[in-house]
Amino acid sequence: MVSHIQHLPVPQGRYYSAPGKCFSWVNKVKWAELPTTVNSRLLIEDKTMQPGFFNHLLLICQFEIKRGFATRKGLLSLAAFAVIWYFILLYPLRFAAGLLTQENGLNQNLSFFDFIGFGSIQRWSIPEFDVFWHFALIIFPMLSVTLAADQTCSDRERGTLRFIVMRSSRDRVFFGRFTGFMFIQALLIGAAAFSTLLLILYRDATLFSSALPELLALIVNLILIILPFTAMMAALSAQVKSARQATVWAILIWTFMAGMISGLAYYLPALDFLKFLIPGYQLSDLAQLSGWRTLQLAYIPLLQSLILLACGRWIMTRQAL
Amino acid sequence: MSSPIIQCQQLKHVYSDKVALNDVNFELDAGEPIGLVGPNGAGKTTLLSILSGFLRPTSGTVRLFGHPPGAAQLNGKVSALPQDARLDPGFTLIEQLVFYARLQGLTTQQAILEVSRVLEAFALTEAAHEKPGVLSHGMAKRAALAQALIGKPALILLDEPTAGLDPVNVRIVRSIIAEQSSATTFIISSHDLTELDRLCQHILLLENGILQTEKIQINEQQSATRFITLQMESCPALEVSARFQALEGILQVTNPQKNEFIVAYNADLQPNMDLQLMQCIQTNHWQYRQLSHGKTLEEKLFFRD
Repeated sequence: MVSHIQHLPVPQGRYYSAPGKCFSWVNKVKWAELPTTVNSRLLIEDKTMQPGFFNHLLLICQFEIKRGFATRKGLLSLAAFAVIWYFILLYPLRFAAGLLTQENGLNQNLSFFDFIGFGSIQRWSIPEFDVFWHFALIIFPMLSVTLAADQTCSDRERGTLRFIVMRSSRDRVFFGRFTGFMFIQALLIGAAAFSTLLLILYRDATLFSSALPELLALIVNLILIILPFTAMMAALSAQVKSARQATVWAILIWTFMAGMISGLAYYLPALDFLKFLIPGYQLSDLAQLSGWRTLQLAYIPLLQSLILLACGRWIMTRQAL
Repeated sequence: MSSPIIQCQQLKHVYSDKVALNDVNFELDAGEPIGLVGPNGAGKTTLLSILSGFLRPTSGTVRLFGHPPGAAQLNGKVSALPQDARLDPGFTLIEQLVFYARLQGLTTQQAILEVSRVLEAFALTEAAHEKPGVLSHGMAKRAALAQALIGKPALILLDEPTAGLDPVNVRIVRSIIAEQSSATTFIISSHDLTELDRLCQHILLLENGILQTEKIQINEQQSATRFITLQMESCPALEVSARFQALEGILQVTNPQKNEFIVAYNADLQPNMDLQLMQCIQTNHWQYRQLSHGKTLEEKLFFRD
């Protein structure tokens, strides 16, 4: 039985009355009609209240940055990174600089740098940058695989993502978080690069003007390098249940994909182009370049990122929350 | 005539090989709170998850305010309390709720005011700066309820809103729903039928993934036969049934549970059956606890003959 509902005053402003049936079954059952009262009034859509795509992207990105720098978990990750980077600065970077600034050091020590894989040291006007470049090519992709592993997975498992997708589309959440993680990593890259600059200036302050353009080239390049790694983690995070799973899968996929494509390309050279799909494929070539010439290979990570983000978005929109 | 706020057509959802929802068709207009009931595994949470946009149906169509679930146009208009969803342990309640309010389009200032309002409504003002990890189960549940009320949405889907809450907080939740139901349509999934009986005018019954409609309709149309539910203090059940049965207009007396009697009677023959029963109780020096017209929701839904 449907009871009668008391007549209530209609509030002014953003409400309107939507009278009529309260309840009905499609083509089957028709329930009792309710009196035409304001019990069925609805909040009308206020266009000015609807934030756009980029507004949400910014809000979600800001929240991730806050997570990265203002929560205990974020601060612990930063502290770990700072410690690792401190030791890189203290030993390899200072050591390389020390060797190269010795009288006749460069010529005598080139064979040593070749031996440890830093043969390109001769191509950089400032040797610290070469050491930085080689370490960064390894450390930042690895950092990306661990730091960006939990873009959505733990929130999805906990159910927190449900609260967010009630207010924002899955696309906005996916790209907002990806942007947030990219921003955090960009800040870490910037911090690491500037600490290297300080070390250079400590050795020779007159190098500032020549070091700054190279520093910018390094930062831009490193951001481009970690793009596909972060996109890969975004896609994996949308699929798996935990950050640890995402990291393990990233290592497995990366290793097997690299192995399989190399194997296929060996027997079918026409398939060699598939190597472009492996994040970090260009790193060994990049290690041989210096300065703004490193941007010659920028199209590879950009292309990889686009493909991986498209895959991640596809997973995210189909994933049960 | 307004367009329905929810339209489901031939909705089906299958988990691996288990059919959770099968050919569910219904339309709901804005109005009084609607209960969603059914036994465990009937598909209630699946239905609410599809309506909230957390789950894609295997087949069929769903529209909320004319848009598919999860559409940007529904931002701030539809809200939900998902079952077992927890807030982020890394941030305080106020940080998270302000973030949600900002996503709904409120400015920071508006968001803080709105979050303060909902936290106060659920007696959580003092816990506003606490992280979810230190909250009790009841407080965490209230915090999750508070987020659903941010911005006064037009439709709120609540999955087990009072599960795990103490009686005082159940009453708070009930009064908030009653207070806001003039502007908001609530769909409440719950096993607490007494609670739903108090709050809801209509019930959706799901059984084995199928929406039960016909039987409920038959019950509703049986207007000539009325029911009275009587809860007695300790009494001789057989004697009570026999004495009631002897009254004029009585069609059937059943004793489904200890000290509970459901009396079916012909309202045309005896319109004041409640007074007759009271008189009978007094004459026999029995004690009664409660007399209510109609069957309980539990009887209506799960023990139909």
